Amino acid sequence: MLAVTFADLWFRARQFTIAVVGVGLVLALALALSGLADGFRAETAATVDGVGATSWVLSRAAHGSVTAFGAFPQSDVATVAAEPGVHRSSPILFAAGQAVVRSGTTAPTWVDIVGVQPGGLGDPAVVAGHRIAGPDQIVVDSKLQGVPGGTLSLGHHGYAVVGIVDDRTMLGGTPLVYMPLASAQRLVTGGRPLVTAIATSGTPTQAPAGLVVLSPASVITYSTSELGSAVNSIDGTRTLMWIVAAVIVAFMLYVAALDRRRDFAVLKALGASSAVLFGSLAIEAVVVTVIAALVAEVVANFMTGMFQQVVDITPDARLALPIVALVVGVIACVAALRRITSADPAQAFG
Amino acid sequence: MSAHLGVEDLTVSFDSGGYVIKPLDGLSFAAEDGELVALLGPSGCGKTTLLSCLAGLLTPASGKIRFGDLDVTGLRGPALAAYRRETVGVVFQAFNLIASLSARGNVVVPMRLAGVPRARAKERAAELLARVGLDERAHHRPGQMSGGQQQRVAIARALVHDPPLILADEPTAHLDHIQVEGVLRLLRELAAPGRIIVVSTHDDRVTQLADRVIELAPNFTDADRAPEETSLGAGDVLFRQGERGDLIYHVDSGLLEVYREMADGSVESLAHVGPGNYVGELGPILNLPRSASVRAVEDAVVVGYTVRAFRRTHPHHVIEQRAYN
Repeated sequence: MLAVTFADLWFRARQFTIAVVGVGLVLALALALSGLADGFRAETAATVDGVGATSWVLSRAAHGSVTAFGAFPQSDVATVAAEPGVHRSSPILFAAGQAVVRSGTTAPTWVDIVGVQPGGLGDPAVVAGHRIAGPDQIVVDSKLQGVPGGTLSLGHHGYAVVGIVDDRTMLGGTPLVYMPLASAQRLVTGGRPLVTAIATSGTPTQAPAGLVVLSPASVITYSTSELGSAVNSIDGTRTLMWIVAAVIVAFMLYVAALDRRRDFAVLKALGASSAVLFGSLAIEAVVVTVIAALVAEVVANFMTGMFQQVVDITPDARLALPIVALVVGVIACVAALRRITSADPAQAFG
Repeated sequence: MSAHLGVEDLTVSFDSGGYVIKPLDGLSFAAEDGELVALLGPSGCGKTTLLSCLAGLLTPASGKIRFGDLDVTGLRGPALAAYRRETVGVVFQAFNLIASLSARGNVVVPMRLAGVPRARAKERAAELLARVGLDERAHHRPGQMSGGQQQRVAIARALVHDPPLILADEPTAHLDHIQVEGVLRLLRELAAPGRIIVVSTHDDRVTQLADRVIELAPNFTDADRAPEETSLGAGDVLFRQGERGDLIYHVDSGLLEVYREMADGSVESLAHVGPGNYVGELGPILNLPRSASVRAVEDAVVVGYTVRAFRRTHPHHVIEQRAYN
C-alpha cells in the first residue's frame, strides 16, 4: 500500500503542497510563539547572568523579582559585604518603565533604568564605546538604537550615550539603560540613597532584616513570573496554532478521503482492510505534517526578526516540533476514518 | 477446484426508505466450467446485485451460491476475504482503476495486498499487461488511456491471481464499437477450461458470444396477445411489489387495494381502485418491477392488457403517472 500512498501524494501534489504551506506557516508561527515565551526567560537570564553575581539580595517585598521596586537603604550593602563568604558586593537600583527621548525625536521610548556602581558587579561590558565613567553617562542596549556620542533625555536631564550593550532587555524586550547609581538615585528616588538589589560575589550566610538572599536562577524564575499572564496567553495561542494545524490537515485529508471514496471501495474489493487504508491515510498525514514542520523550522527563523522581543527557539522546541506534528497528523486522520470504515466494497460496482 | 457455479433460490432484499426492495427474488441458475455466461436484463433488474453476491461483497437474504466445492454464501471472515482475493476477479463497469497509479501499478496492487513480493508482482503485472496487449502502456496512468485500454487494464487486474471465476459488470458500457471488439474478444478467450466468466450486460453483442444467457427480467415478447380476464376472491393478490409484469389491469367489477409492503413487515395502503379504473401501468410501460402490490378487497374481475393492447382498446384513457405504480 505504500506505493498507493506515495502515488496518491504525488497525484495530489498541488493539494498537498497547499496544505504543507498552510500547515508550515501555522507551525512556524507556533514555533515562533514558543520562542517568544521562552524568550522572556532567555532575556531575563541574559540580563541577570550578565551581572556576574553568585547571589542576589533583594527586599522581601520584591518577591524575588529584580524588576519589582522593592527599595531598601543603600547602607545595607555594607552589612552584606561584611558577611563571611562575600568577596564583593555591589548595589543596583532597577526602575522599570521610564520614558526616554532620543535626540532628534519627540516620541518617548520606554526603557528600564539600571543604576550600577561603575566598575562594580552589574556594570555592563560594552560592545561599542566605553563603560560608564562619570555622572550623566549612560550605556544603552543596542535595541534602543543609540550611538556612542548621542544623547538621551530622561526626565529633565540629558544623558550622554557612551557605550552600547547587546542582549540587555527585560519584561518583553524593553531595553535597559545603565547609568551610575547616584544618577539613577537622583532620577528615580529624588537622590535618596535607596537601592533595589545587591549583587554579590560569594554567598552571604544571612541577609539584613527585610531582605532575602537568592540564587541567580531563583531571581530569573521570579522575575520571569512577573510576565506569567503574557506567557500563558502566548502558550494558549500556541495551542490554538496546533489546533489550527490539525484542522487544516484534517480538512485536507477529509477532502482527499471524499475524493477517494470509490478508490477505498475498490481497494477493499481487492482485499485491503480498513486498517490498511487508515494506515495509508495516516502516512499521508504524517508526511504532510512532518514536511510542514521542516518548512516551519526554516520559516520560523525569518519570523523571529519580526518581533521586538527576544525570541529564543530552543533546540528542545525544534526537536519537539516534528514529533508534535506527527501526533497532529495522526489525530487529523480520525476525521477521515469514518469515510474509510463506511466504504462498502460493493460500492465498487455502483 | 472444478469451475462449476450454482445459484439456488437467491433472494436479495433491502430497505429503501422504509420499503422492501427485492432486486433478486428466488433466482436460480448454473454455469459449467469454461463457460462465458451473460446476465441479461435492463437497468435495475439485479445484474449488479447478483455480481456483488457472486463476488462475496453482498450477503443475500436467502438462497445459496456454490462455486466448486465452496458454499460462498456460508463464507465469513478470513475465508470470505480469501475467496474474494483468490477465487474471484472483478472487472467493474466504470473500470475503477486507481487514478494515481500507472497501468502496472493498478495491476500490482491486488498482488501486494495479498502479500506477493514486489518483484514477483511487477513481473506478473508485465505478463498480464502483455496478455491484454498493453505492455507498451504499462507506465501510463488511467487518465492517459482510452476507455478500452482502461478496461483491459481492469481485466489484467482481475486476472492477477488467475481466479477461476471472473465477474465483469457491463464491461462494454463505456466503450465505442472498436474498443468493444477488443474487450469482448479478450473475455471470450478467457472463458476456457478452469474458469467461468460471468458478464452482466444489456448489450446484445455479448449474448451472441455467450455460452449461456441468464435473463434476469422476464421477456414479454408477445405485445399483441389477447386480453386476459382474471377473477379474484376477497383477499386474493393480483400482483406483488417487486414482481415484473407486462399487463395493465382494468377493473371490470369489485374493488382493489393498492398497498406497499414496508421493511418492518407492515403494510401501507396507497389507494382503492374500483370499476372503470385501471391499475399497474407504470411497471409495464417503463419495464420496471412493480412498485406496489394489489389485492382484491372484495370479489373482483379484472382484465389484463399489454401496453399496446391497452392503448388500442382504451384510447380515451390517458395513462397518468401515479407514484405507486
